[in-house]
Amino acid sequence: MTDSRRLERRYRRLLAFYPRAFRREHEEEILSVLMATAANGQQRPRLAESADLLKSAIFMRVRQTKVPTTWEYRHAGVMLPVRLLTGTWLVFLTAVLYGYGRGGWWGVLLVPSATLQFYIAYRLRHPRSEQPPG
Amino acid sequence: MTKRAMQEATFLILTALAGGSQHGYGIISDVEQISNRRVRLRAGTLYTALERLRADGLIEVEREEVVDSRLRRYYRLTSAGEEQLAEEAARLQSNARVALARLKPNAGVAST
Repeated sequence: MTDSRRLERRYRRLLAFYPRAFRREHEEEILSVLMATAANGQQRPRLAESADLLKSAIFMRVRQTKVPTTWEYRHAGVMLPVRLLTGTWLVFLTAVLYGYGRGGWWGVLLVPSATLQFYIAYRLRHPRSEQPPG
Repeated sequence: MTKRAMQEATFLILTALAGGSQHGYGIISDVEQISNRRVRLRAGTLYTALERLRADGLIEVEREEVVDSRLRRYYRLTSAGEEQLAEEAARLQSNARVALARLKPNAGVAST
């Protein structure tokens, strides 16, 4: 196998981290850029390059993740109080645990969960400005 | 879109496309030249930016070509993209002018 075939295969392995839809549209295109910027006889992706691809892939996956989901927007009337109650309940639980000196590491789990609940509840308050299509 | 300052990479990519349509590798080399070899975009960063610019309607795909069995996709600015770039360039220019004038009041007066 030639150097360039080997390099291409390794690049493809990295590109596999991108979301499927993005790969279908852009894999060949990015690959042509990567191969064009590669040095002669280069066999493996450079470290900084790999890190950049991974970062970009993760970024795109995170951006695709919708919080709250479309389903929640559609049922905002019910979901808003549910999220608020869940958040309040988690805060209450945290307070009780720490009040009795049993908090420990539970805070690591409870505090972010409660924050997330309130964040989603807040987003659901403005369904018109944030409504995703469909 | 918000009136937040544009990231430098984004600004340079739009500037590269302001001269005419280009494909990915063309943008990378052009950005390197525009920035006097200071900014060398990596493929991942470039495509993250292109994807967002396309979603925001600032750029669009002009055409595709296959050269040496490699796909090249050419991008160009939309009119919204031109507008946005002009706005940002004017903003940077006005900030830079004030900065230079305050650093060297006499030079600022002499040059304008």
